[in-house]
Amino acid sequence: MKTVQRLLLLATLAMGTVLGCAPGENGGNATGSGAADSGKPRIALIMKSLANDFFSAMAKGAEEHQAAHAGEYELIVNGIKDERDLSRQVALVEEMIAAGVDAIVIAPADSKALVPALRRAQKAGIVVINIDNRLDQEVLEQEGVSIPFVGPDNKAGAKKVGDYLATKLEAGAAVAVLEGIRTSFNGTQRRLGFEEAMKAADINIVASQSAQWEMSQANTVAASMLSEHPEIKAILAANDNMALGAVAAVQSAGLDHPVLVVGFDNIPAVREAMKEGKVLATADQHGDKLAVYGIEYALKLIEDSEAEVEDRETPVDLITAEDLGE
Amino acid sequence: MSNPPKTSRRSALLASVIPYAGMLGVLLLLIVIFSLSSRNFLSASTVTSVLNQIPDLTVIAVGMTLVLIIGGIDLSVGSLLALSSSIMGVVMIDQGLPLAAAIPASLFVGSLCGLVNGLISVKARIPSFIVTLGMLEMARGFAYLATDSQTKYIGSKVEWIGTAIPGLAISPAFLVAIGVVIAGQILLTRTVFGRYAVAIGTNAEAVRMSGINAAPYSIAIFTISGLLCGVAGVMQTSRLSSADPNAAVGLELAAIAACVIGGTSLMGGRGSVIHTFFGVLIIAVLQTGLAHVGATDPIKRIITGGVIVIAVLLDALRQRKRNSRAQ
Amino acid sequence: MSAATPLLRLRDITMDYAVRVLHQVSVDVKAGTIHALLGANGAGKSTLCRIISGLTQPTGGSMMFDGVEYAPRTKSEAEAAGIQIVQQELNLIPTLTVAENVMFGRTPHRLGFVNRHEQRQQARRALDRFGLKDIPVDQPVGELGIGQQQMIEIASALDRECRLLILDEPTAALSGGETERLFHWLEQLREQGTAIIYISHRLEEVVRLADEITVLCDGRHVTTKSAKDVTTDQMVDLMTNSTEATSPVREFQSHRTDRVVMKVNGMTREPVVRDVSFTVHAGERFGIAGLVGSGRTELLRLLFGADVAEQGNLQLNGEPRKFRFRHPWQAVKHGLAMVTEDRKETGLLLAQSIRMNSTLVSLKQRFQRLGWINRSGERTESEELRRRLDTRCNHIEQPVGTLSGGNQQKVAVGKWLVEEADVYLFDEPTRGIDVAARRRIHALIEELAAAGKAIVIVSSDLEELYETCDTIGVMSAGRMVGVNRRDDWSTEIIMRQSFAGYGSSTEGAA
Repeated sequence: MKTVQRLLLLATLAMGTVLGCAPGENGGNATGSGAADSGKPRIALIMKSLANDFFSAMAKGAEEHQAAHAGEYELIVNGIKDERDLSRQVALVEEMIAAGVDAIVIAPADSKALVPALRRAQKAGIVVINIDNRLDQEVLEQEGVSIPFVGPDNKAGAKKVGDYLATKLEAGAAVAVLEGIRTSFNGTQRRLGFEEAMKAADINIVASQSAQWEMSQANTVAASMLSEHPEIKAILAANDNMALGAVAAVQSAGLDHPVLVVGFDNIPAVREAMKEGKVLATADQHGDKLAVYGIEYALKLIEDSEAEVEDRETPVDLITAEDLGE
Repeated sequence: MSNPPKTSRRSALLASVIPYAGMLGVLLLLIVIFSLSSRNFLSASTVTSVLNQIPDLTVIAVGMTLVLIIGGIDLSVGSLLALSSSIMGVVMIDQGLPLAAAIPASLFVGSLCGLVNGLISVKARIPSFIVTLGMLEMARGFAYLATDSQTKYIGSKVEWIGTAIPGLAISPAFLVAIGVVIAGQILLTRTVFGRYAVAIGTNAEAVRMSGINAAPYSIAIFTISGLLCGVAGVMQTSRLSSADPNAAVGLELAAIAACVIGGTSLMGGRGSVIHTFFGVLIIAVLQTGLAHVGATDPIKRIITGGVIVIAVLLDALRQRKRNSRAQ
Repeated sequence: MSAATPLLRLRDITMDYAVRVLHQVSVDVKAGTIHALLGANGAGKSTLCRIISGLTQPTGGSMMFDGVEYAPRTKSEAEAAGIQIVQQELNLIPTLTVAENVMFGRTPHRLGFVNRHEQRQQARRALDRFGLKDIPVDQPVGELGIGQQQMIEIASALDRECRLLILDEPTAALSGGETERLFHWLEQLREQGTAIIYISHRLEEVVRLADEITVLCDGRHVTTKSAKDVTTDQMVDLMTNSTEATSPVREFQSHRTDRVVMKVNGMTREPVVRDVSFTVHAGERFGIAGLVGSGRTELLRLLFGADVAEQGNLQLNGEPRKFRFRHPWQAVKHGLAMVTEDRKETGLLLAQSIRMNSTLVSLKQRFQRLGWINRSGERTESEELRRRLDTRCNHIEQPVGTLSGGNQQKVAVGKWLVEEADVYLFDEPTRGIDVAARRRIHALIEELAAAGKAIVIVSSDLEELYETCDTIGVMSAGRMVGVNRRDDWSTEIIMRQSFAGYGSSTEGAA
């Protein structure tokens, strides 16, 4: 059943994004739709790319949560084709407004561009919760809205990873950073966290480039960094996919000293690499629960419209090989 | 490619070197520029890293060259690579089967999708642009379905394919890619199959009216392109030690760029696999070089785009000059 | 009759491509005259016309037009001066309507929007002037016959400001009636003082129309004479090598036998071909005459499987098996060969070499082993073919598109000679090619007949059919209305048959 739904979802998404369907025509599938007129609150979860492990795990977590609490709310999950498809995500918000949902829980593809659409949603009386990627404070102020952010402190998480890495390096060592897409808030936060940790330990960042969150690009960029700066002792990647790309680059560079690699997100593939000792550490921001945190908060706000609206921080944990345990 | 009579062997030799000379010139120019502007660009490790980066793009671009030569286009190559790679991951991780089973599975899936591309576009006479655009979406969807949208980490079982052979500095994947380039060039210039491909791309109606049944050849070429996507899937999977359903987004454009830089005509009937290989090298050197000098993403894009346009411009000028001389 | 100073003066025009194709050509063209430009393949006629009309720039020499220095760098510069050219290759855009094509480049508009009404009216007027009342202005040009397209192109050129008109083989695609209309109008233009440069291989036309002739040979100016002073025989002598010129037209010799090679039964594809039956014997050359649009080309395409017949079939070599080919490759497999009407669109790979074109048909049978091309065999055969057909080229690796029309046609024919067929279908085998190439191809057709092949020749040129055929079938409105043996035919009979299918509504032709 689940698989069929996912398949349908993917198919509608794929066709919708490529053929540019008219807005409102493919609002996604409501799970638990049998109870459409029961008066239960309807919550729309708008994700980035559902093709990405991280977000699909997040969506799965949300769906499981809904299944366990089927009597309490309905959930509509939507995603976009790739992480940069902003306009599609804006359209999804519009569609959800039109569909008259009670709350929107969104992982914005861009920290600025989504704000106007979300302001319209709030105007329409919809509870809006920001998860994963924090909306830009300045733009929020300019637009005169306040949207609570429920999510991890990426900078603190990245610093934890960086601090752990620093314990394995000597002061003055050279390291490289693989950044995410530079316009994304998380990407910036993680880079800042890495930089803070390296600075504190007196370690030099000799190269820092964006690899667009992608494995293959990270591979190319990391390979070039290693041949340009053979003295590099570690690579800090802003997500695990890029970490895996870096691992492959280290492999083929064939340097005479080990190069440590750290990532962020704790995806299954990176856990395998950690078991093999190829990745030193990553950070787990409990991605599968991130949406759930947002949904729970949204439910609370729907129930109690008087409740105080404020940001909520969710935990980020350092994961190392020891944590995986056998 | 051509083989003029003995009248002037030297000018014939010159003529066959000149096109390569142009591309070699561009390549050397890029290498000189990057060597001057970065510390360690001109080093053995850079060469190794470039050569080990390119096998997947190379084999895909060879397939693309063949497809372009018959006047078609294959937009699905990136997705097919991702699908093949995903299948490998599923076979090895989820099914726990050995590499010896994963590689055929990958190649089979690639070929099958290529065959579907070919059958639909040739038999139903739907432009390959449309058919492969559909396949681009579908194959990507199947890749996500197959892997449940998860990157599969495979590890050392596949690494050796993409890792440099000790003492040789190049990987088995690169050797395979070179083999594919040579085979592609031979296929194109020395076989009936290649001859018909060029003929079909030049004037499909004239080929039909010459009593040649072109359909099987066209279908075979799309299938070859699919097969090569499978090969590239194996290469990329091994290079990254992981099967990634998100892999190779936009690779079709890089492959087309490589072909076009190499002077392959998008209108069909003209193209050379060797030239395409030079195109791949130019793109790879650009990518690596720009990463070496630490260029930001906007600059990378601007420069890469500029080089593509300039290369095509030069080729167009050369063609025009040749045509006016032949008039 | 003509003004004292010529309208156009060419002085020492020289043109170099890889080789020199024009050697210091000097010609004067007077206003109010029709000036025929004669020459064999590659004599430089087309190049000269391209220079005059701004399509190419000469490497040397100068031009004066209407008393002032004239050196056009583009076609539009030439047009601005009042020089129009109608080239042999049609320049119409098939997907645009007749009106859009006629008004192309001078589309009436208001504030950037096309004034469709005005466009249609002006186009209508242009066509009506030329008596083309039956051509609808809203139809896409691609849907019209090639003859009508040619007429539209000429009418469109003549509708513009025109003091010097250049026509390159204008009648090649025209039917008798259309040709007649064209001549009538050219004579009118001459009276109005327009100068006309006229290129044609049909010497009767030249004799009838031209006031002056200029003969080019191998890029050199041979002579310019008053047309009255030259006979067609002399013209041929002047423009061909003397050896070729002196050889008289050979007596017709029949090679027809009684063995039936191809029997066509009730071929039908409505509405263009209706219930056509005929037989062709070994060694027989079976001509098919008829007006443009009478279904001749379509019939050949049905026989060859290029289009699929709705009814009817053909039998080969007296065997009972009946064929209705669905693809040309089936036809070729069973011993048919077809030289198509439009060599550029359907006959040749223009961008590819002579070698590749020559062996395209026979590659699989003759020049491969296990899929590998036998390159030396291929080269030898192509060279052999080039010698046999006397194809003029620098070398066999030259793209076919760079050859002159006649030599292109030799390649288009030659590719069917490597692997012998039983039945040869020729559609307009010598259209628009020069006298020498035409003779060569006719001789070749005779060789094939002598070798016992069955040959079908479709031609709009009756002279050609008279010279080459044993039998002439006449098609009219999709039907084969008459089959005439050599002793029975006359122009009168054939013309009467040609019009038979159209009833009395058809207007008369020449």
